[in-house]
Amino acid sequence: MAEQRVLLVSPELCTGCRLCELACSFQHFREFAPSRSRITVVRKEEEGLDIPVVCLQCEDAPCVAACPTGALWKEDESGLVAYDFDRCIGCKVCITACPFGGIGWDPKSGSVIKCDWCGGDPQCARICPTGAIKWVRAEEADATKRDRVARRFEEVSRLITAARGGV
Amino acid sequence: MRYGGYAGRYIRVDLSSGSIGVLETPESLARDYVGGLGFGVRLLWDEVDERTDPLGPDNRLVIATGPLTGTLFPAAGRYQMAAKSPLTGIWGQSNSGGFFGPELKFAGYDMVVIQGRSERPVYLVIDDDEVRLADASHVWGKTTFETTDIVREDLGDETFKVMAIGPAGENLVRFAAVINDAGNAGGRTGMGAVMGSKKLKAIAVRGSRGVRVADDGAFMEVVDEAYEKLQVEWGEAVRETLTKYGTPNLVEAINAIGRMPVKNHWTGYWERADEIGGVAIRERYRVKQGSCYGCLVQCKYYVEVREGPFAGRYKGPEYEAIVSFGSSLLIDDLPAIFRANHLADALGMDSISLGMTIAWAMESWERGLLTAEDTGGLDLSWGNADSVIELIEKTAYREGFGGVIAEGSRRASQIIGRGTEKYAMHVKGLEISAQDGRAHQSSGLTHATAARGADHLTSLSCLEERGYERVAAERYGEDKVRELTDPLETKYKGWLVKDLEDLYAMGNSLIICWYEVGWPPVFYFDDMARALAAATGMEEYRDPRAIRIAAERIVTLRRMFNVREGLRRKDDTLPERFLREPMPTGPARGNVCRLDEMLDDYYRARGCDPETGVPTDETLRRLGLGDLAGRWR
Repeated sequence: MAEQRVLLVSPELCTGCRLCELACSFQHFREFAPSRSRITVVRKEEEGLDIPVVCLQCEDAPCVAACPTGALWKEDESGLVAYDFDRCIGCKVCITACPFGGIGWDPKSGSVIKCDWCGGDPQCARICPTGAIKWVRAEEADATKRDRVARRFEEVSRLITAARGGV
Repeated sequence: MRYGGYAGRYIRVDLSSGSIGVLETPESLARDYVGGLGFGVRLLWDEVDERTDPLGPDNRLVIATGPLTGTLFPAAGRYQMAAKSPLTGIWGQSNSGGFFGPELKFAGYDMVVIQGRSERPVYLVIDDDEVRLADASHVWGKTTFETTDIVREDLGDETFKVMAIGPAGENLVRFAAVINDAGNAGGRTGMGAVMGSKKLKAIAVRGSRGVRVADDGAFMEVVDEAYEKLQVEWGEAVRETLTKYGTPNLVEAINAIGRMPVKNHWTGYWERADEIGGVAIRERYRVKQGSCYGCLVQCKYYVEVREGPFAGRYKGPEYEAIVSFGSSLLIDDLPAIFRANHLADALGMDSISLGMTIAWAMESWERGLLTAEDTGGLDLSWGNADSVIELIEKTAYREGFGGVIAEGSRRASQIIGRGTEKYAMHVKGLEISAQDGRAHQSSGLTHATAARGADHLTSLSCLEERGYERVAAERYGEDKVRELTDPLETKYKGWLVKDLEDLYAMGNSLIICWYEVGWPPVFYFDDMARALAAATGMEEYRDPRAIRIAAERIVTLRRMFNVREGLRRKDDTLPERFLREPMPTGPARGNVCRLDEMLDDYYRARGCDPETGVPTDETLRRLGLGDLAGRWR
């Protein structure tokens, strides 16, 4: 089995620059149109949060279960929830079923828009300057997060040591 | 519009009649003036003149994007404003980041032109093809932050991008700013007062269209190269300065060369600079990285003050604001500076003009020329942060002595008189930004010649600041590197300032951010030419010489705007302090700004008559402005 990869999203690193949206829309539609991007950064101004929202390629995907025509299915090998425009009837039930807002509708092309990992080289991850979106091996995903938390503790312990006046 | 990159349409609103027109962006305007600043220059030349009252209905406010706005070219998320300035009475312009600019483009417009004056307060809603005026009486009097929230609530969608004025703009404070996306300022030259005079409180925009470029493949090649330059070639220089600290990184660096204004530009060095520097901010207060649209430099940041009278969460101040509210007033308390900067944003004022006008008042106070009788009892001793905070609020509402500050330093000093005019640190009515021509000679030339008054972004050279020898050699030749990178040398600086004035004018027309063109000096004319040609399909711009000519056309016509207002060489000068008072302390001690040694070169390079400072007929003809020839001497 080929190794599986995942798009690892870390909202705490996101600064809301939206380069991901531009890269995504250009990759798929040859235009810079955030409204047509498969990834969307949601900004919560007051809380100071920027959260990239994108299809999470669920294992037990509600959109796949809901789709009446088999236009969405889970690929065993890669783990991608794939989409076939020709089989899609545009009923949008997948959009209703998705608990994350990971699937959208593009009126211009009359088609569902959802992340397809750009065929194996996700442009959002490629362009993200902060590491908030990363394209990592599935087994690494949790390790990457763990590592970052650990580094934060490292920082805390350094501060405590400094406060005590020692090294 | 046959060119890529543009939306192809623009909006014209006449607030007197309430009529709104959606018009085609003329191809000739795109070809000859590119976008952004260039559009503003051409429109103001055509539609405003020396009789126009900046606060009257005939003034125009041009809000423009450029052909790169909203594309993947790095840091192309800005917009440009231009109007006749209520602060200076001459050419006015201001540029802002955030998210508003690209959203305007995504709604399908290259620009918005505002004219006339509404009877009642209104705000403009641009929602793709729907463009309408809405009643703004319920937000009149609100801060820019409150207005942004309320307008979004009105429209039922928090993804609307909003630019707004605060109470200062409504009250026609002459340096009122426009604030967009909660804390990004189009600060200088009083664009907020122009909006206030027209009773236009805000513009809200939402767009679902896309930007298409002429040649996808070529454009993405240009983009990839640009990323390579920023992330690899200049990667460390960017990450370790702007990304890590933001522009406050300049505080320590600029103080070290003795060029950081202290005590109303009295000197250029402060022993306490580290107290208000980038490192102090990062270690004690920084909580989050921020960014403008489509940028990987990411110089924005947020701070939190956990206790004390100024506790709160703030958008981090820029270098200019830190100097303006900090060293210029001898305030070394960062929370007070954060608070002052926040108030300037909330109430809608330019932090530079505001702080520097208060600095004039403090110096006048110290010298006994201004007393408690004038200030309504406010103690304006150096370093009195409480008084400064109070005065900032009073200024926005024109209460008491705030009404004098609200006029800006030139007019304020004329109102008070008693010789305080000498301490008003402005050129052409615009307060001098945080450089000093005595320590960095070419920055004095920049302040003296910039069209909007004593501004740095027009042509400031960072070659001397940080000793960019390789850049100097590549652009201007090995033989000039020594002089060009020596801040105290005047040789070649006239030519340098002219070159950078053109470069930054083109940057503001495309529009891309100063923090990848000015400092660090990453992109030059050849990069801009490739990007413009690929985005628009204008083949002529493949030749960098063509883009230089377009830039010169924009700068020259902008200069002609001021010539038409009556400005000549005598106005391209500096306050006496810079020309006659040797720098009293710090690394540049003993120096004055030798402006005259640079001015002749500047005029020659600019194609102006050195006697008058007016562009020659030959220059005007060369740039396709022949119809202006022979009319002004």
